[in-house]
Order: sequence, then structure tokens, then C-alpha cells
Amino acid sequence: METDWAAEHLQTIRTLMERTAVYRRALAPIMVWNGIAGIFAGLAGWKLAFNSAHVFIVFWSTAALLAIIGSFLLVRRQAIKDSEPFWSPPTRRIAQALLPPLFIGAFLNGCAVCGTWSDKSDGSYLAFIQVLFWLFLYGCAAHSAAFFMTRGMKLFGWIFIAAGCALFLAATVPDKNWLSGLSPHLLMAGTFGGLHLAYGIYLYLTEKGKNAS
Amino acid sequence: MNPEAFLNLDRVIHEKGRLAIMSMLAASPELSFTELRDALSMTDGNVTTHIRTLQEAGYVAVAKSYQNKRPLTTVSLTTAGRKAFTDYVDLLEKIVQQTRKIK
Repeated sequence: METDWAAEHLQTIRTLMERTAVYRRALAPIMVWNGIAGIFAGLAGWKLAFNSAHVFIVFWSTAALLAIIGSFLLVRRQAIKDSEPFWSPPTRRIAQALLPPLFIGAFLNGCAVCGTWSDKSDGSYLAFIQVLFWLFLYGCAAHSAAFFMTRGMKLFGWIFIAAGCALFLAATVPDKNWLSGLSPHLLMAGTFGGLHLAYGIYLYLTEKGKNAS
Repeated sequence: MNPEAFLNLDRVIHEKGRLAIMSMLAASPELSFTELRDALSMTDGNVTTHIRTLQEAGYVAVAKSYQNKRPLTTVSLTTAGRKAFTDYVDLLEKIVQQTRKIK
């Protein structure tokens, strides 16, 4: 009998500690926003033919910055709605987990832009390499943040890493003709935009299911 | 089972509501009054009473500030509170282990 209450107390403590440490803001609108922004940016970049390497990087860095600002505004709106502080401890932990891979990405972007500034030729190949780096780094960032979020985020991070690996392997095949026909902008729209949108829709459907039950 | 372990349990923390507050604070550097109230589905009066008891025992620190021109009360564990919580959890684990051995 006494073991039961002691074990129950320990279980309650564990549950409460986990619930407090985990980021609780709804991810679905953030994922959908990032997905739509990614797809829109991909189509815009492809239509406007931003093909030189430095323009590609600057264009997508700007798109990423807008996506991050939009995400923060969505988090802030939710925080105000729930009368909770915006910069809560779980939000801080997530930001800290995301920071190292995102910093490396920004650093590499800066180096690549400086290195290709005067090069006006078609930079599809360099852009393709850049997409690979972004997929790997973003996958690592999502996986790190997942330690303070819902478990699905870990899988989400791994999907980005797997997509990067698949693209890398595809690029090593001897016949690279297919690469020249593949716009890096559409690749970004399909990976970053498509994956975010798919995860957002999945979250909306599952959250609705949970609420209904 | 050795009843000494049970008698040594910290009575301030052992109460259900205070244990819940201490558990949440142990997992976070600080939490607002509203976060605690909403997460634990307690009334304002209940949370206030428990926090006052914990504060008098020296286990939590309360800070009052303003956010967006609205008063914000945040609560955090003190060093003594963290130690008391760790000791409490250790003792609970001992009780569980002791009774498992008897079984």
C-alpha cells in the first residue's frame, strides 16, 4: 500500500516536471506559416530566376528571416491570448537549442555570399550544395529543439537529415544531367516548404482529434 | 518497512498542492503565478496560500515586476528549496525500494 503512494508521488513529480519543461505552444500554425512561406519563396525565386549563387543565398536568407519573424509573432500572439509570458523558460531553451546550427548556417551563408559576390554566372551547383547544408543544419536544429518539444519534432529533424543524405547520394551518381534541370528554388520549396506544410497539416489533424476525444 | 524514512519526509513539501508546485519549479528556472495556477487547476487563493507556506519555509522566492504594464508575479526555487526537493525525492525512492525488497 505504502509503496503505491510513494511510487504514485514519484510518477506525479515526473509528469509535472516533464510538462513544465516541455514547450507547450501550438506548433501547427507555425509549421503551416513556414510551409506556405517556403513554397511561396521557392516559386517566386524560380519565376524571377534568381540563379546566381549569392542572390540565391541572400534571397533565401531573407525568406528564412521573414519566416522566423512570422513564427515569433505567432508565438507572441498565443502567449498574449493565454496571458503567459512570451519569453518563457521553455521558449528560451528552444531558442538556445536552435542557435548553434542556425549560427553555423548564417556563418556559411556569409562566407558563400562574400566568396561569390562578383560571380554573375549561373550558380546552380553551389546553390545545390547550399541546400544540402541547410537541410543538414536545419535537421540538426529541429532535432535539438525536440528535446524540449513534442516527440514528433525529432522525427521531423531526422526527415530533413534524411532528405539531405538522399540528395547528396543522388548528386554522386555519374550522370548529373538531372541536376541541371532541377531548380534549387523548387528544391527548397519541396523540402523546406513541403515538409513544414505537411507537418503542420498533420498537427492540425491530430490536435483536432485529441480535442475531440 | 522501516517507518523512519516515512517520518523523515518533509511535511512542508509532502502536501499534494505544494509538492506539485515544487515539482514544476524544479523543472524550470522560474514560473509565473498564472502558469502555476493554470497548469495545476488551482484557485488564486490556493496557490497564494501554498506559495506563502513554501516562502516561509525558505523554499521559494517570489519576485514582483511588470510586463506590458500588467503586474507579473514570478516564483522560483531557492537553493534550500532545491535541496529539500532533492532530499524528498531521494527519500521517496528509498521507500519504494525498501518496500519492493520486503515484497
